[in-house]
Order: sequence, then structure tokens, then C-alpha cells
Amino acid sequence: MGKIEWAMWANEQALASGLILLAGGIVGVAGQFRGWEFAAYAVAAGVFVCLLEYPRGKRAKGTSVERTGQYCFTVCVKAFGPLTRNYYVRAFLHAAICVPGGFMLATVLGCVCLGIASLIYLAAAIRGEHWEPILPRKEVRKPVAESIKNPPQNPPPRPPPEMRRKQAKDLESAAYDNPIPVTSDE
Amino acid sequence: MAVSLRSWVANEGGKHLVLMLWLGANTWLFLNTFLLFSTGQQYHYLYKMLGVGVCISRASASVLNLNCSLVLLTMCRSVLTFIRGTHVVSSRKTRRLLDKSKTFHVACGIAVCLFSVVHVSAHMVNVVNFSSRYSDDFPALNLARYRGEDPKWIILTTIPGVTGVLLVLILLLMLISSSYCVRMSNYEIFWYTHNLFIIFYIILMMHMVGGVLKYQTNIEAHPPGCLRPNQSSTEQYVDDLEQLEDDDSRCKADAHFEPHYPQTWLWVSGPLCLYCVERLYRCIRSSAPVTIVTVIRHPCDVIELRMLKKDFKARPGQYIVLNCPSVSSFENHPFTLTKCPTVNKETFGIHLRVVGDWTERFTQQLLPQSRMDLEILPMVQQRTYPKLYIDGPFGSPSEEVFNYDVSLCVAGGIGVTPFACVLHALLDGWRGFRLQRLYFVWVCRELQSFYWFAELLCALHQKLWEENRPDYFNLKLYVSQVDNIQSISEERFRPLSSRMLVGRPRWKHLLDEIGKSNRHKRVGVFCCGPKGISRTLHRLCNSARSRGTTFEFNKESFS
Repeated sequence: MGKIEWAMWANEQALASGLILLAGGIVGVAGQFRGWEFAAYAVAAGVFVCLLEYPRGKRAKGTSVERTGQYCFTVCVKAFGPLTRNYYVRAFLHAAICVPGGFMLATVLGCVCLGIASLIYLAAAIRGEHWEPILPRKEVRKPVAESIKNPPQNPPPRPPPEMRRKQAKDLESAAYDNPIPVTSDE
Repeated sequence: MAVSLRSWVANEGGKHLVLMLWLGANTWLFLNTFLLFSTGQQYHYLYKMLGVGVCISRASASVLNLNCSLVLLTMCRSVLTFIRGTHVVSSRKTRRLLDKSKTFHVACGIAVCLFSVVHVSAHMVNVVNFSSRYSDDFPALNLARYRGEDPKWIILTTIPGVTGVLLVLILLLMLISSSYCVRMSNYEIFWYTHNLFIIFYIILMMHMVGGVLKYQTNIEAHPPGCLRPNQSSTEQYVDDLEQLEDDDSRCKADAHFEPHYPQTWLWVSGPLCLYCVERLYRCIRSSAPVTIVTVIRHPCDVIELRMLKKDFKARPGQYIVLNCPSVSSFENHPFTLTKCPTVNKETFGIHLRVVGDWTERFTQQLLPQSRMDLEILPMVQQRTYPKLYIDGPFGSPSEEVFNYDVSLCVAGGIGVTPFACVLHALLDGWRGFRLQRLYFVWVCRELQSFYWFAELLCALHQKLWEENRPDYFNLKLYVSQVDNIQSISEERFRPLSSRMLVGRPRWKHLLDEIGKSNRHKRVGVFCCGPKGISRTLHRLCNSARSRGTTFEFNKESFS
């Protein structure tokens, strides 16, 4: 479990929570239910969270897949520098944003989901991850490997044939280490 | 290119038929339950109190019941392997449908999420109506304790409310972590959150406890809409007064309400038991460790592992799942078998490509470390291999290669592994199968990759030439990296070097050529490789063929 990048999951969860918060807020305002001011706040908060979370960060290892049209969002989010790079800031920001959503029935689901996203961001921050923008860059061609110049003249030393032959009755103990590494010739 | 109707029906017809049946079943359930609740006599008072909300919520609940049970059935892999293997389902067309079980699982999962949204919204409206339209005539029907009770409290203090909130949370977690990018980047997050389904099902079985929605049991004694003995209907006109004296419109007894019997148990418990039994069976079957016989290192980061296990039987094309506790206790990784155990030789093998941390750590435990000092010859030491458990074998689409008259196998890189097993089986005895001709196309980025199976390919080629069937096996190798061109120089691999081409294959011409030599036949196309190749091939198989050959596309994917 050591190499999991939590930030990717936190990003998906936060984007989904933003959408749910937005939807709940729209329903609350449209139906003019009791406490519809919280729903109006949820609409604004949902839009903000979606805009913040739309650009995906670059993965530390492996290929990063961009979301469609995320380049302009990446530029905007990058402009805030350390505020958006650091995941502790995002964790606390989401925790703070989600609290007013809990006061109205229509937005309570968005509030809980955003809370979960904030916890996952906290886990990512504790692991030392940070947000890197995905920017287009030129590919550097790998230099061509050198060909083998001098093949060895003698075969590698091997143990005597009795040790090399596999004992059919006892397969487990017939395994041995070759003194010099041998690769398959096929 | 134009889509030909016959090719499209041959390739896509079965899948779309099943899709239509499933949609039809869902629609029928929805409409049936909706009409039952809106027009049924026993729900008359409930409908009057809650309105259309109760109809929508119950209708979506019945659709949810169906999809929750289907979702489990598609994941019983051993059962599906058994169905595929025993030819109980004798038609090849129906066996082809089993290939799409994961897609169907995803479709049912999405249906569960969509209808949960509908169900939750309708129940929110119901809760508001329970509170505002509190019924003084029929107190047994009420969920709220008094008129105007806060809907939030109604939800949080009843079992269906609390379980519903938990179910929605778990469902959301499972949905969001099943997205494509999370699965590709961190498969463990997807796996561990998806295993919350067990909690989901347990809470689902408790969801209906409490009997929130009630139906009326004594319809004959108390026809809905009848008038109480001390009640007069103010809407009636004076000259209809004599109708009021009619016995039928007077209630003989008070309305009596009973809560529903929870239907979810009937739908869900069967598949859940089947799934649990299957997991137990797989656990017991994989509890015997395997003996590792040989570890061979191949070029381009590929390791071949030969193993031995008692009573292990597999068919060509199947895959196994490896678990090595010394590398990671909970991770299970699937690998296709490249050699099946036969009557003569009981060892079976896999080829695994080292990409990712599990395979790296596994390889480090299997192969000796490189020694730093080479001047002093070290002693030969005994090596102990790590303990390894395998689960399987599980079926895959490539098992059908032998059931066509003509088959085309297209492999990209390490995707050649299911077909390697097929070739081994042909080497053992090629006469017993329905297969009369096999076209084998292997596309690799580097030349070194062909050394993984160079001996196998040459041996099969040699055997078929000697037994006077040179047209049985048609081999085409492609090296897709066009710079730094090399060739296979060994004399014993002559058949390979003379069949190797540089550059990407032209699929349309290939299929045309195969179609020309096999008119009016059904050719099975099996693809195991990158998405680009499989998409192109799929499109070509669906498009018009002028020579009467039909190409049936079967894809095997490793994700």
C-alpha cells in the first residue's frame, strides 16, 4: 500500500462532491425550502470547488491523463502558487466549505462527501504529496543504447553436473543460486 | 467504412439483445410497481397522503432490487468459468455473451446509482409529505409523530432513514473510486472500497425493517373511499342523498393496515449466498501452495515461471490469479497461463512482464541478486523460493479459438500469452480440434520480444510442415519500431526471420486477404493488445465484407 497516490482519488471525490453540492443547492433554492439561504451558499460553494478541482494534477509515477479542456483551469489554479500546491490548505479549505451545507437536508449529502474528500486530501498531504500542473512539454528522445563490443570468450563457471541436474523427487530443494548471473539465450 | 448489417448482427447482435431484454425487464418492473401503487385499492389511502412520490419510490426500489441481485451474479467468476467450460450452454453465440460479464456488471452498477438517486429524491418528498399531511383519520399510516415534524428528525430516527443515509454514502464512495483514472493509477483504492459491498448488502437487508409503508388488508370490509357511519360527504348533491343510504358506500369496519413483507431479501439473498459460497470455494481451492519448478529470465523484462500443483487442470486461454504473501498479503494479480498442464507433463507456466512495484518485488525474490564481487567465485547456495498461492483458473474469451473453423489471433506485445497456451496445445496434438486454420499476427515494439516464444513458434511450424499441413499455421510478425532495424540471425529461427515485417500491420488488407482464402466461413478474430489495435479491428469486423466471410470479434483485455 506504500505507493498509492491518494491525491488522485481525493481529486475525483472532491469534484464529485462539488457537483452534488451544486445539485443539492439548486434543488434547495428552486423549491424554496426552509433554510434556502444555505442552498444558495451551496450553489456558490459547489461552483468554486468544481473550478478548483477540475484540473488534474500530475502523477508522481506513470502517465497523467488530462481532463478535456483543463489547460485554462490549470493556468488559473497554478497562479495561486503555494495555496493550491499544498494539500493541507486544500484539506482545511474543503473542511471549512462543507460545514454550512450540513444545515439543510438538500445539501447534506454534498457536505458529507466533501468532508470525506477533505480527509483523503489530509492523508495525501501527510504523505508529502503536492499538486503539480500538467503542462505541455517537449519529449526528449532517449539516446540509443551502445551495442555490445566484446563478448566474453569463455563460458561462465558452473557447478558440477550432479548439482545442476534437477532431482525430480525433490523439486523444492533442487533450486540453487548461480554464482554468476545467467540469462536465457533463446 | 460502411457497417454491414450481417457483420454487425453477427458481432453485436447478441449483446444488444441482452441489453434490450434487461432494459425491458427494468421498464416493466418500474411501470408495474408504479401502477400498482397508484391504482391499487390497498394503497388508496397511502397514495392520497403521499401522492406520486410513493409510486416513484417503490417503483425505483423494485428496479434496484433487480439490479442489486444481477450485479452480484455477474461477478461469480468460477460459476461463469464452469458454464463456459462444460458446454452446457452449447451455442457458441451464448458463450460469447459471457465475455461481456464485466461490462454488464458496470451497466447494472450504473443503473443502481441512477435509480438510487430517483429513490432518494422520491423518499425525500415522501418524508416532507408524511410530515405535512399527517393523517388524523388513519393514525396507523403515519410515519411522523405529529403534524409538521421536522423531516430531518424523521429520517434520523427511523431505521430505513438511517440505513438509507449509510447506503447512499457507501454507494457514492464505491462509485467515485471505480472511475477509470483511479482504477488505472491506484488499483488498490478501487479494490478496497469496492469490497465495502458486503457492508452495503448487509445494511440493504436491514433497510426495510420497521415497516414504513403500509397497505390496507381489509378491502372488502372497508372499501377505500367509503364513508364512515358518522361522516357525511359534503360534495354530494341533495338529490343523491338516497345513494348515501346504500350499504356499499358505508364502511363496515375501520381500515386495518399492515406493513409490507420486505421483498429485498427474496431478491438479494440468493445471489449473495451464491457469491459467498463461490468465494469460500475459491479460498479453499487456493489454500494449497504451489511448487515453483523453474524461473527463466527473458529479454525485455519478462520472467517465465514454471509451477506444479496437485490436481490442477486448466484449458488453453485461461488465467490464474497469483498471491505471494511475502511480497504483499492482500494483493492478487491475474496472469494468463502460457502453458497448461497436460497428461504427460504436469507443470504449467506463466510469463509475467515486470512493470509496477508488485512484479518488481516478486522478481527480486525469485531471481538471485547481482553479486558485487566477481573475482572470488562464490559457493553455490541453495535457494528457497517464496511461498505462492494461485486462484483459478478462470475462463477468458480466448478459449474459443478451437471452436471456429478458421481463427485469427492478433497479439500486441505481452498480449501473446493466451495464444502461447493455444500454440502449446496445438503442438501436443492438433488433429482433435474443430480448428482447421490459424492465422497468427504478433506485433511487438522491439525485436527482442519475439525471443519469448521463438522456440515454440518454430517447433509448431516445423511439426506442421512435417505432417504435411503447411497451411494450418500462418504466422506474421511485425516490429513496430521502424528505427534501428535488426533481424533474428539464428539459423534455427529462420521461419521467424522470413516472416517478419517492419512497421505496423495494415489491418484492412490483412482481413481482406484472409477473407479471400476463406470464403463463406465464419472467422473468429481474437485480439489481445492495446486499445488502438482492438478498436480498429472491431470496426473492421463490423464493416462490409464482399466475399461472404463473417468476422466475429472477441477481445481479451488485461485490465
